[in-house]
Order: sequence, then C-alpha cells, then structure tokens
Amino acid sequence: MGLKAIARKNAIHAMLIYTGGCNGCDIEVVNAVYSPRYDIEQYRVLLTWNPREADVLIVTGCVTWQMVEPLKKIYSLIPEPKAVVAVGACAINGNVYKNMVGEIGVNEEIFAPVDNIIPVDAKVPGCAPRPEDILMGVVKVIPKLMEAP
Amino acid sequence: MEVFLKILIASILAIIISVPYSLILPGIERKIQARIQQRIGPPILTPGLWAVLKFWYKKDVEPVAYLPKFYKSLIIFGIIICIFLFLFSTPYWWQILSWGSVLGLIGMLKLEEFLYVLMGSQSQSFLSTTMPVPDLAKGAKGIGIFREFVEQHSAERAIKMMAVGSLPLYIALIVPFAIAKSGMISDVIKIQNPLYFNSSWFSLPIPSSPIIFTVPGFLSAIVYFIGYVILLNERPFNILKAKVDVIEGGILEYAAKLRAGYYIIRNLMLFILSSIFVTLFIGIPFDPFIPLCMIINIVLSLIMPIALSVFVAFSPIFTFRQIYPTAIGFSAIGAFALIISMI
Amino acid sequence: MSKKIIEKEISIGPVHPALIEPYRIRFFVNDEIVEDCEININMAYRGIERLLEGLPVEKALLITERICGICSNVHAWNSVRVVESGLKIEVPERANYIRVLINEIQRIASHLIFFGHAFEVIGHETFAYRSFLLREVFMDLMAYIGGNRVMPSVPVIGGIRPRADLTDTLKRVILERVNDFEKKYKEYVDRILADPMVMSRLTGVGYLSKEDAIRYHAVGPTCRASGVNYDVRTLMHEYKPFDFEVIVLTEGDNRARIVQRALEIFECLKIIRQVIKNLPEGPVVNRNWTIREMPFTTAYFEAFRGELMHSYALDSQGLIRNYKVRTPTPTNLAAMEKACIGDHITDAVVTIASCDPCLTCCTRIEVVESGKTKVMSDIEIVRKYGWRR
Repeated sequence: MGLKAIARKNAIHAMLIYTGGCNGCDIEVVNAVYSPRYDIEQYRVLLTWNPREADVLIVTGCVTWQMVEPLKKIYSLIPEPKAVVAVGACAINGNVYKNMVGEIGVNEEIFAPVDNIIPVDAKVPGCAPRPEDILMGVVKVIPKLMEAP
Repeated sequence: MEVFLKILIASILAIIISVPYSLILPGIERKIQARIQQRIGPPILTPGLWAVLKFWYKKDVEPVAYLPKFYKSLIIFGIIICIFLFLFSTPYWWQILSWGSVLGLIGMLKLEEFLYVLMGSQSQSFLSTTMPVPDLAKGAKGIGIFREFVEQHSAERAIKMMAVGSLPLYIALIVPFAIAKSGMISDVIKIQNPLYFNSSWFSLPIPSSPIIFTVPGFLSAIVYFIGYVILLNERPFNILKAKVDVIEGGILEYAAKLRAGYYIIRNLMLFILSSIFVTLFIGIPFDPFIPLCMIINIVLSLIMPIALSVFVAFSPIFTFRQIYPTAIGFSAIGAFALIISMI
Repeated sequence: MSKKIIEKEISIGPVHPALIEPYRIRFFVNDEIVEDCEININMAYRGIERLLEGLPVEKALLITERICGICSNVHAWNSVRVVESGLKIEVPERANYIRVLINEIQRIASHLIFFGHAFEVIGHETFAYRSFLLREVFMDLMAYIGGNRVMPSVPVIGGIRPRADLTDTLKRVILERVNDFEKKYKEYVDRILADPMVMSRLTGVGYLSKEDAIRYHAVGPTCRASGVNYDVRTLMHEYKPFDFEVIVLTEGDNRARIVQRALEIFECLKIIRQVIKNLPEGPVVNRNWTIREMPFTTAYFEAFRGELMHSYALDSQGLIRNYKVRTPTPTNLAAMEKACIGDHITDAVVTIASCDPCLTCCTRIEVVESGKTKVMSDIEIVRKYGWRR
C-alpha cells in the first residue's frame, strides 16, 4: 500500500446532495455527521459542501425533474477519483413515489434510480436507513478510491 | 559568500521544519473542537497532512474562472508570500535590506489579505448563479438585474475586512516595536532576551524580560489574538467565507493540487502568525541553528491555535453589524496599549 | 420610506450548505442589505396529490406518511382523521393517547432539528451538535414504539398498529429518558439564552409584526412568536384530555421564534407525562368498519410548523378522489420573504431558516399565463398541458 492509498484512506471528503423526497434520509445523513453519537468524523470522513473538494457524493431522494441537471453537473465537477453512494429507497428504486401509483400509471416526475443518471458505487437501502448503515455505505466505497490510479 | 550560504541553509531548514509541522495544527484544532462538542472527532493527522496528500494525488481539473491561469497562479503567490513572511521573522534575514522589520511583516500580511480579493473576483463557482434552474422564468422578480457570483460578493467583503478587520493585528504588532523604540525585530529581541545574541548553538537563552508580562504587552497580546482570528478568517470573523451564504468564498474553485496548496497556505498562516507572536512578545526567535531555541518557539506557538480552536467552538458568525464595533473596540484597546508603551 | 436601490442579485441553492433541502433563494441586495427576495420552492415536486388519486384509502397511508420525513406522523394521522371523521369510525381511547404520545415525541424531535439547523446557519457548531445529541433520545423512543427512527407508522384507520402498544417497561423507559432529557435540555436552553454573541445575532433581526403575521397568514410557531394566539390543538377533541399551555411571545424577531419553540418543548414534555400517567386500559384498534362512499371531508391539524389540512372524498369502491394537502410552510415562507427585507444577507438566511422551512410537503405549481398568475390544481394542469410539462 503506497502513500497514495494511505492518504486516500485517511481523509475522505463527503458531499451530500439532496434531490427531492421526504427529508427523512437527508436528516439521517446529517444525523450521521452532526450527532455526536454517530460522528462520521471519527472514521476520517469529513463533510463538505463544495464539489471541488469532495471525494464521495452521497445522493439521497428520488431525483425530481428540476434536480436532474444540477445532479449531473455536480457529479461532473468532482475531480477523479470519485465515488457515489445512493442512500435510501428513493435513490435506489424510487420508493412509493415511483412504484405505488394510483390511476396515472407512471409517475413521470420521478427520475428515480440514481443509476440512470450517474454511476453509483454503493447503495444503502432503507426508508429511512439508519445512520450506522450510511456510515457503512461510505466505508464500502473506500477500496475503490484507494485502488484508483 | 559564507553569509549567503548560512542564510540559504537557515531558510531551507526553516521551510523543511515549518511546513510539515504546520500540517499537524488543523488536526489539533479540530480535535479540541470535537472534544468540546462531546464527540471523538477526526484523528489528528487527517484534516491536515492526509488531506493535503490526498488532494495532491487527485486528478487536476481546470477551474471555472475569468482568467484560469491567473486564478491558479494565486496559490503559488500565496505560498511564496507565506514563506517570505516567515523567513523575515527568522534571525538570518533580519539584516537584509531591513526586511526583518515591522514594515516587512505588515507589507507581507497585507499582500496575503489582498489575495482573497483577487481569488474572489476570479472564481465562478457553479453553486450560485450558473446553477441550471429556471430562475428567469416569465413572471419572476428582478429580471435584468446584474447577477453576481457569491465569490464576487465575498471579494467585496474581503475589501471591507481589509479596511477595518485587520486593524487590531497591525496595531498589536506595532506595540513591541514601540516599546523597543525601533523598527527592527533584532532590537525587539535585544530588550527582551539580550543573552540570545552571544549564545552558542547548544545553549538555551531564556528571555529576561518578555514584553507579554508588561501591561501594554499583555493588552496588545489580547488584541493580537483577535487580529489573528480575523486574519485567518475563522469564526466569528469568517464573513468572507461564511458557510451560510458565500460558502467558501474565493477558494471555491480550487481542486486537486491547487486545493492542497490552499490548505498549505492556511495551515502555514496558522503557524507563522503564532511563531511571530512568540518571537515578538516572548523574545524567543525561530533560529534553526540554535535547536533548543527553535523547539521552544515551536512549542509555544501551539498556544495561539489552541486558544483559537476553543474560541471558534463557542462563537457564531458575525455580520458586519457586529464586526465593525468589535474590530474598532479592540483597535482602541490596542491604541491604548500603544500610548502606554510610549510613556 | 425611501426608494429602494437594487444593486445586484445573489442567488443561492438548491445545493447549498444553508438550505439542505432543494429550494432556491434569490436575494436582491444593495451592498449587504436585502431589499427584496424571491424564494423558489418547486424543486421537490413529486406529484403526491396526483399519485394518491384512485388508491385504496388503506394503502394511501404509505404515501401520506412519506410526504415529509420530519413530520411523518402528522401526515399519517391527519389523513386517517379525515376518513375517521367522514365515516364516523370510533377510535379507542388508548389508541388516541398513544397517537398523541408519538406526535409529541416527534414534535420535540422536529423542534430540536430546527435548533440544529438554525445554529448551523448562525455558525455556532457546538450548539448544533448538542441539539442533535439531545434529539437522539426521541429518535430512540420512536424506534422503540414504532420500529423505525423516522417513519414510525403508528396510526392506522380505527386506532394504532398493535405493535406500537405501550408496555409497562416501555412506559418506564419513556419516563426515565424524558426526565433525563429535561434536565439536560434546561441547561442547554439556559446556555443559549445566556450567550451574548448568539443573542446579538438573533435579537431584533427578521422582525415580523402582528399585522403582517395575520396578513400573510403565518401559522404555527411563526405566528405565535409574533403575538397571534392560534393553535389548532386547542380546538381538537383528541387533545381535550390533556392540559397544556399555548406559548405566545410578542417580540416577533428571530430570537422570539427560537425561544417560542424552546418553551413549547416543555409543554410537549408535560403532555408526554400526562399520557404515561393517565393511559387508559383497553383495545388499541377498532376493526369494525367498512369503507364506503364518503363526501368531501376536511381535517385540520396542528403540525409542528403550523396548521395542516388534508381533505379528500372516497368513491363507491373506497378509492381516494381529489386529495388535497395544504401545509404550513408556504404561508410561513411568504411571511419570511417579507420579514427578511432590510437585514444583512447573512441574517436573512437565518430569518428564512427561523420559520423552520420544510419544503418537501409544500411544493406547488404556479402557472403564469399572459402576465396573470393563476394557481392551478394538478388535475387542471394535467388536463390543460398534458402530464409532461
């Protein structure tokens, strides 16, 4: 393991982008960072709000129409190597908004699986996932960052 | 020739020691804050050393700016300014063209502050005006008004901070020189630590009468601390990179190696300003050829970052409504100390 | 009043540290002073009301609970209340008590997340961390009672889920945690109110007068901090057995909006204690009901941010027709758009955060046709413009 891999393992900047949905996952991610009980910083993950600084992009929420373009753009701004963690059932399959429709048949407001828009490396299921799971999801993408050239 | 070689070796030693050391400071700062916030916090090396190395190994991307090359070069200027600011306070540069004086220090500090204005006016981050959302739809308010990037607003704030915010530090910086009745750093050391000038390389010159233990020295040390917080743009004086509206200000677009450079500038400033404090107010200069003296300087320069991190943990962001009275009030205390010191 | 000089526009969002939810604020500023402001809240539009059209009412609970992740219980309960009042379904007393309990637990959690967000926006990280630490108590209680930290899904038609019934052990645990919380929380509030730096940021900023609060129809803690005594809980028969006070402050600035919520938490604790003390015995769910045709029925509720309305009708097969939700945040945001004028930008963001905006539930479409603004329902839009905009 070279210096590059050690450095990448020891400092991970995570960015949260919230693309519409019910707020639940979003607050659990914030909980994982801000609640001293979970405290993501002790696992060497620091929260940032600047795509230029980030390594890991945490995406929550079913992607609504207006958030598609910002999501793509922000993903493109992150310098390589980067990884994406999709948090919550909405980001993985659209949850009730996409799958439990009444008479309209297809809800075209939701562009939900984040896979369709940007490549996803780790998925954290749950509605809403627990903060422990979110920590686990972020930790799972570290090997990808470490192995990148 | 021998003098030149000595300066060269001293400078290289100073840089080699100060840059890695400064990378530990943000970790200590973050750890103390985390402990105050009742959590464990990141390991000490993470926010400094490993973050810089990680950014160094990232793939370079072109920043979005008016003049990308100029914007990128600002980081190099910043590092050069920081290093010269530090070298001017080390003993072997004191005699060269009188750079080791109050003028050399204040000039370099002013340049460092001005960098934020330039950075802010250049950067064009995606996070404000250019976000692809339908803003100027039919029926929207304010169509046709000049739309500004948040970084440019940060540059305007940086100018205001240059005008009023940096006063406390400069006034406090002048007080030791006023006590010594000279503009040179060597004279300031001479009145505090006369042993230093004829000590051998292994000795430990203890200052006989540090300025910090006099009344004007103590007052100005407090003012110096406030100025230190203002110059580093830390809470409560971080309005030019307040997270709530301008996010990070002019440094938003720096990525990869340039961001590593920015981290180095910021951490070096954290160390340099407190090292200058120890040199001027306690009388122990950073002398690479007298190791004990240098180590004491390094250890004592931990005081400022630790005090800073405690102060930061308990303070909100100030707006200009609070910054003007605070900065002017502390400048008045500094001016009072200056007057006492002259009597 | 002098003429406004608008120098430039500064727009932030939808991806921004101060507004975690996707919405956009456009400040029109003169140097640092906000002269005008536009808040654009349509980024989180998911078409909930349209989704619910034609769903069986028992199934609708899954979606209504997910309208908002902070006040999930409020939406679930209120959508159940509509059908209960429309079809005259009896709710057992014990079920009602437990519904109130989980609602007040979530109200405290919501107010604490407001503190966390507000202090994050003010820049005081230590208070934000403390607030999130205190909040964990109630997240745990929600997980114990309902099984999920965020979506406890307690109310169902005719009562509560039997899983959420309170055992004696759980009652003791709740009482212990609440007593422990109150002690720590008192210290926390005292510490905030004694902090001169934080108070100088809050006092006198974002002033909303009583007249403006009434005119813009601010609801919930926002209007109660401006001197309007209005709380739907006092009118609800569900809250009849409980004794609590409505906190009304008259200052109308950001400090008042924070203090109002801080004091309201003590009233919530009072209600929780009463629930644990007076919890009646008996069944928790009444299964003797059949869904039949129901005329258009409306239910009002005091959500954590203000008055909430759910209303719908059921057709002969028991499917939902014409679901309407009106949430507190749009009116509160309109009031805040007024209140933040004349302050510094940094303060204006705090002012907007101080009404505790929860954008997920309030997104609406506004159609502008040849200069005339017209707010249309989703169905009208779909009929007129087709589903794809």
